[in-house]
Amino acid sequence: MSASIPILKIGANLLATVQIELSDTVSDAFQQDVLTTIEKTGASGLVVDISALDTVDSYVAGMLANTGKMARLMGTETVVVGMRPEVAATLVRMGYMLEGVNTALSLEEGLAHLARTAAKRQGR
Amino acid sequence: MNNAPDYMTILKIDNRELKSRLAFFELTDEDFARLASLRDFANKYTHEITEALYDLILGHPETKPFFPDENTVHHVKGRQNAYFLGLFSGKCDLGYVENRLKVGAVHEDIGMPPKWYLGAYRRYLSLIYDRLIKEPRSPKELSDSFGSIKKLIFFDMSFAIDTYIAANLQTLGRHQAAIRELSTPVIKVYDRVLLLPIVGTVDTQRAQQIMEAVLTRVVQDQAMVIILDIAGVPVVDTKVADHLIKTTAAVRLLGAQTILTGISAMVARTVVQLGVDITMMHTRTRLADGITLALDMVGKRISDKDPLKDAATN
Repeated sequence: MSASIPILKIGANLLATVQIELSDTVSDAFQQDVLTTIEKTGASGLVVDISALDTVDSYVAGMLANTGKMARLMGTETVVVGMRPEVAATLVRMGYMLEGVNTALSLEEGLAHLARTAAKRQGR
Repeated sequence: MNNAPDYMTILKIDNRELKSRLAFFELTDEDFARLASLRDFANKYTHEITEALYDLILGHPETKPFFPDENTVHHVKGRQNAYFLGLFSGKCDLGYVENRLKVGAVHEDIGMPPKWYLGAYRRYLSLIYDRLIKEPRSPKELSDSFGSIKKLIFFDMSFAIDTYIAANLQTLGRHQAAIRELSTPVIKVYDRVLLLPIVGTVDTQRAQQIMEAVLTRVVQDQAMVIILDIAGVPVVDTKVADHLIKTTAAVRLLGAQTILTGISAMVARTVVQLGVDITMMHTRTRLADGITLALDMVGKRISDKDPLKDAATN
């Protein structure tokens, strides 16, 4: 198996830290891994940390957006954290606004966001 | 001046450039040999010519102030003599050019406009000519000698003018950089709240600068909210609105939020009439309201003082 991205479980949430450049194959495998792990663990939240990425191409952007949607169908809230300024600028310039994907500045804030969503959900 | 700019590099002067310029000014080895043969003439008249040249420069009310005292005058006259003799050195290499560029740089440094520089050269040429005809020469000799001198002097002037222009362009570049910096003053309003007042026209280049500055600062300060105040933007058209929408989207990708303030009645009307949808942005008319909203987002509130309670704590 080639390089893969570890998905860790912390409490009710999953944490995936992307530290390698995402080729199309790797990003497909990653999406598959995430969904399987959600299915296995029933995690309520997922944090994808992309702070190590200095480029995000349209394929990866699409994968992130879709993974978020898929995870939501399974009852899991996704937050993408740590996007670099130049990555954000490029994505927007290319027209990828990643609507529907939650974002946070840091891992800490991402987890805080998930905690708030979870609390809201329980309140209902 | 400390740290004089390296005009040789800026003007990209190398052996190739030197050759090409020599060719264009039609300066040949024959010219340099002829100039070298005039060295005795040069030695004989250099002081006379320099004195006469400075009669013109020091006699004009606008050029005199560049040479305020005896010492300066004495110094520049010495330089002038050396320059004059240099014309008859019979060679022209990169070292010679570097020397010429320095002359231009000195004039630029003291703020001497090119008009005086060129005017002085005019006098210089006629001074030389007057001395040349004094001595017994055949008309052909005279015309050849003066021709060679003219070529080299115009050649020299081309470098001096290049230096003038390069120095001005450098100043211009510095000013542009300063303006660029001034155009995106991101201010920290409160912990994790930033403010960028946008003043003046927003074109595509500036919009990009704004986006860059905003995104960098948001990450640097880990700001949750950035307020963009557009009260100082004269015209908000589709393009400007589009830039603002893009910036908002990019800020959201980082995990922060944008508040747009300073929306006047006119801007509100144009934006809607243009059919631009900015409903996904938080917008306020007054900056104060924007700040209140921003503080609310970071979990803070501005509240009135309780006079009784405050008196008790003091």
